[in-house]
Amino acid sequence: MNEHDKIRELLALAAAGALTSAEEKQVAEHVRSCLACSNELEAWRPIANELRRLPTPQPSSWLVQATLARAEAKFTEQAEHDWNQRLMIIVVAFAWLLTIASWAVFHVVSGRFGSLLGPLFSQTLFSQKWISFAAFTALEWLAGGVAAVMLAIRQRGERRLV
Amino acid sequence: MAVDADVVRLRRGDLSALSELITRYQNRLYRYLLRIVRQPAEAEDLFQQTWLKVVEKIRSFDASRNFDAWLFTLARNLAIDHLRRIRPESLDEPLANSGHSENVADRISSKDHTPLDHALAAERRTEISEAMAGLPMIYREVLTLRFEDEMKIEEIAQVTAVPVSTAKSRLRRSLEQLRDALEARYPGGTWQ
Repeated sequence: MNEHDKIRELLALAAAGALTSAEEKQVAEHVRSCLACSNELEAWRPIANELRRLPTPQPSSWLVQATLARAEAKFTEQAEHDWNQRLMIIVVAFAWLLTIASWAVFHVVSGRFGSLLGPLFSQTLFSQKWISFAAFTALEWLAGGVAAVMLAIRQRGERRLV
Repeated sequence: MAVDADVVRLRRGDLSALSELITRYQNRLYRYLLRIVRQPAEAEDLFQQTWLKVVEKIRSFDASRNFDAWLFTLARNLAIDHLRRIRPESLDEPLANSGHSENVADRISSKDHTPLDHALAAERRTEISEAMAGLPMIYREVLTLRFEDEMKIEEIAQVTAVPVSTAKSRLRRSLEQLRDALEARYPGGTWQ
């Protein structure tokens, strides 16, 4: 492709103002000495100018208001969801902390009162009892968590229906 | 690039910033969507969906980036999904009967002086508008982004998710196709 053909390919983009400064310079230099390209560039100008002056269709004020209302509702719902999620994480972490801390409490209590029971309350028995207690508590937390999630899903479904 | 204060406020959870942003971008965004889908009812629906997406994703948006490009990318993705769903052929094919559906919402801001100038200018705009509406979606899109939204080639490339060289050649091809369409529709007219 010779110089003339290369420049010719750039003329539409020149009218669109989409050339780099180096390309612009190249085109300007070429059209000064090439009548065909100069005419071609002039032919592109009215098209580019009219494209820039096309009327802008405007959305109705109803659409803007409705969009704002829906977006605000979604924003509030999302903020509520995020807050609930954070709360849930804190509660779950707290629940696990309590369950694990119960080992120390259980140990202290059983140490104080277990010695009264003598060999009936051995270390093995303590471990078994604590594991049962911890498992039972964890199960309770889990059931509570599942119930909370189910309620949240149901609440969201009801809110969508409204 | 300056960080958009409204975007930062929206990320912090300030609802008034949302109103500011919708007001600021309403005309540009609606026009872009209308140029892509051509039907006002569909553009209105996509306009709402775009702002809902903004609310959903604003936390993950990096405020130091270009909000315009991000917003138009969200709108574009929704519009393309919509077109794929309802008119899979419309992404690449020109409209057989352009039936340009903009109506009362179109307002002509005239800079023409006499009634004759005004009438001629309006006619030329109608011609170019109809010819543009008959182009394939990717060409209509690049024309509106360059000439109506005055985006740079780099921004167009970002919105349309293509390399800069592709955005540039797409712009050139869109202008060539537009000119061909004008010359075919109005032989002997002022476009030749």
